[in-house]
Amino acid sequence: MRGRRRVAPPMLYTILIAPFADFEFMRRALVGSLALAFSAPPLGVFLMLRRMSLIGDAMAHAILPGAAIGFLLAGLSLFAMAGAGLIAGLLVALGAGLIARATLLKEDASLAAFFLISLALGVTIVSAKGSNVDLLHFLFGSVLAIDDPSLFLIAGITSLTLLTLALIWRPLVLECVDPGYLRSVSRTGGPVHIVFLGLVVLNLVGGFQALGTLLAVGIMMLPAVTSRFWARDISTMIGVAIGCAAFSGYAGLLVSYHANLPSGPAIILVAGVLYALSVVFGPVGGVFWLAVPRRHLEA
Amino acid sequence: MGDVLRGSAVTALGFQNLTLGYERHPAVHHLNGEVESGDLLAVVGPNGAGKSTLFKGIVGVIKPLAGTIDRNGFGAREIAYLPQIAEIDRSFPITMYDMVAMGLWRSKGLFTGIGRKDHAAIEAAIAAVGLTGFEQRAIGTLSGGQMQRMLFARLLLQDAQLIVLDEPFSAVDAKTSADLLALVQRWHREHRTVLAALHDIDLVKATFPETLLLAREPVAWGATRDVLTPDNLNKARRMCEAFDEEAEACAVVAA
Amino acid sequence: MIARPILLLSGLVAGASALIVTPAASQETPKIKAVATFSILGDLVRNVGGDRVEVATLVGPNGDAHVYSPTPGDAKKLASANIVFVNGLGLEGWMTRLVAASGAKAPTVVATNGITPRRMEDEDRPGRMVSDPHAWQSVTDAKIYVANIRDGLDAADPAGKAVYDANAAAYLAKLGELENEVKAAIASIPADRRKIITTHDAFGYFDAAYGMAFIAPEGVSSEAEPSAKDIARIITQIRKQKIPAVFLENISDPRLMERVARETGATIGGTLYSDALSGPDGPAATYIDMMRHNIRELTKALVGS
Repeated sequence: MRGRRRVAPPMLYTILIAPFADFEFMRRALVGSLALAFSAPPLGVFLMLRRMSLIGDAMAHAILPGAAIGFLLAGLSLFAMAGAGLIAGLLVALGAGLIARATLLKEDASLAAFFLISLALGVTIVSAKGSNVDLLHFLFGSVLAIDDPSLFLIAGITSLTLLTLALIWRPLVLECVDPGYLRSVSRTGGPVHIVFLGLVVLNLVGGFQALGTLLAVGIMMLPAVTSRFWARDISTMIGVAIGCAAFSGYAGLLVSYHANLPSGPAIILVAGVLYALSVVFGPVGGVFWLAVPRRHLEA
Repeated sequence: MGDVLRGSAVTALGFQNLTLGYERHPAVHHLNGEVESGDLLAVVGPNGAGKSTLFKGIVGVIKPLAGTIDRNGFGAREIAYLPQIAEIDRSFPITMYDMVAMGLWRSKGLFTGIGRKDHAAIEAAIAAVGLTGFEQRAIGTLSGGQMQRMLFARLLLQDAQLIVLDEPFSAVDAKTSADLLALVQRWHREHRTVLAALHDIDLVKATFPETLLLAREPVAWGATRDVLTPDNLNKARRMCEAFDEEAEACAVVAA
Repeated sequence: MIARPILLLSGLVAGASALIVTPAASQETPKIKAVATFSILGDLVRNVGGDRVEVATLVGPNGDAHVYSPTPGDAKKLASANIVFVNGLGLEGWMTRLVAASGAKAPTVVATNGITPRRMEDEDRPGRMVSDPHAWQSVTDAKIYVANIRDGLDAADPAGKAVYDANAAAYLAKLGELENEVKAAIASIPADRRKIITTHDAFGYFDAAYGMAFIAPEGVSSEAEPSAKDIARIITQIRKQKIPAVFLENISDPRLMERVARETGATIGGTLYSDALSGPDGPAATYIDMMRHNIRELTKALVGS
């Protein structure tokens, strides 16, 4: 075949491309990870800026009563359990958000209270039924086992998230940086907050179901935290976060393949390495640059 | 068009037996009166006089405990408000330019993009407050004076008929307050109604034609030289006491 | 400081209440109270014990005995039991602590006594060999289970020896028939198709006894999370060795299996019961039903096209 480009050396191909070319499950895992890599990190950046970074873990526990009720009503039906889990998650997130707005409590305290109550409720319901089946283990998927419905779910969630974010971008930013001003010019502050929380829960629960908790929460928060060290304005931060997430998905799957490590953790570890490098060498506040003495600028 | 009509109506704000406060304790007690359209009104009083509370009531942040505020057709959201302490998260990654641009909210809403004309307006507002060159700075890197200028630029863009400023010059240096005062006077020339809560009596005497002297209850309201007499100022100082936890329900009925 | 006396008092009260929980002395009740650790074992005990024995099971139908978390109710059951049956061979890692905590005084019968255990590589420490506990998957070994159970009951309740011996003999006969069925079923499958993939590596004894290869993508424990390389290896293996069928089983994540099956074109077989019985209305409510169900599913998937 003529052309200016030479065929890539086989070694590089074998390492970087072949696993995806040879195996469908790898391709699907990549698509699933990349889809989530576009919708979760922007939300993660906002969560980090609003000091709600631990909501992911809280949500993984908070959905238990929903999953339990879904199980009671429809047995081991993924649809029923995920759907009911989503409702439980939404109730917890929205309840916590409303309480935080209406009372003295701040977001983190309100959320802590809600998710603990939710978790206890869930454990009680599960115990009452008597079965030993680990509901959450059943509900939480794995990136290697992502089936068609889950893929469509993730793709749908990504589209919805990106569209909605584009829609509520301005009030969302304002709500974070100057809520007093937003309140003085618009009534959209409350609804926007609720929509945002709804998106977070949707991404988390959808992510849990399709890809598992570690991956869903990790892809939402780690790239966001990493981006803090690369940008000074929020749009660039979101771009960096998405880039990190996408790269982590791709590289993590390759690591899982070549180094024989479990896939979800591998992806998150790659994201973790990016984070560590950024903490040290990131241009905005990286520890290395703070430690190395540099001549100050003229003005 | 509605704005023009409202701008030429006589009364901008009316207070009828207005009482505002927190947990039933009045911070503004039985205020009556009218702010005329185009007024440049200073609200003066000792600490705890109820100035901030009054402004919060005007813009709708708190609801009256008794009495009413008549905004003459203004929505509470059409008033440009500069609070005393802004709840701004200075660690948020946003540039000064983007913060100022938020002043276009009322005309742009959720979706409408910011076009060339808008960019020109934003740049003009930034120039008017003397912050040209600082556009790309993160707000966390601005000094107190620069922040205040930035907020004034945003107010400029809001293009509101009624502007309410709570202690706008208290934490800034003389040059900044002089520059910003010039903007206030420009608004007055444009026939906008401006209310400002201020501490500096000399500044008020020099610049503001109307004054409301408040010490929880209104002491005097009218032309500045008639209001800010030594007698009145003494009266105001005496009237301000702490909330009384044992207070009975107020017996004064609507006048 | 008022807090300190209150703390001291609470500590004393807590300590006292722990002492109060002493196991009731076992009394001669009309029925012998037996506790079996999991459903399969419980079924065997029921068949030998008959009406003389009341069997309580800790890990119920569809439960996972590898990762079971005992409840206070279990401790109570143990405390009031006359005889306890465990599988042994490392199946019930949680059992020793539970027995100690419950203060149970009943004798424990290890059902796998006398069985030659299969050795397998330890999941967590490659190179180290551990025992495979799933001995009941071989009917021959199940007969040894029954013998141990019978002997245990004889010792605990000598008055019922005749009953136990008779029940055991009858049941052993049934197991003999079962074994013939199993062998016949396997024979009906073409030799090159006697291999399947399943998520649970619990069929080693079945494999050894009846010549049916069970290949698993994960290890013995149901907790391990596979890597991409593991999945790729399995898919490659299925393609290379032309393994005809993929089986789900009632404990681990079925979606992984569906993925593998879809990519290789293997048949997705039904559910195989490996570590637990199904519920009473399910297809594997007793041990014999379970084995029959499994071979039925195997032949269906492998004999078919």
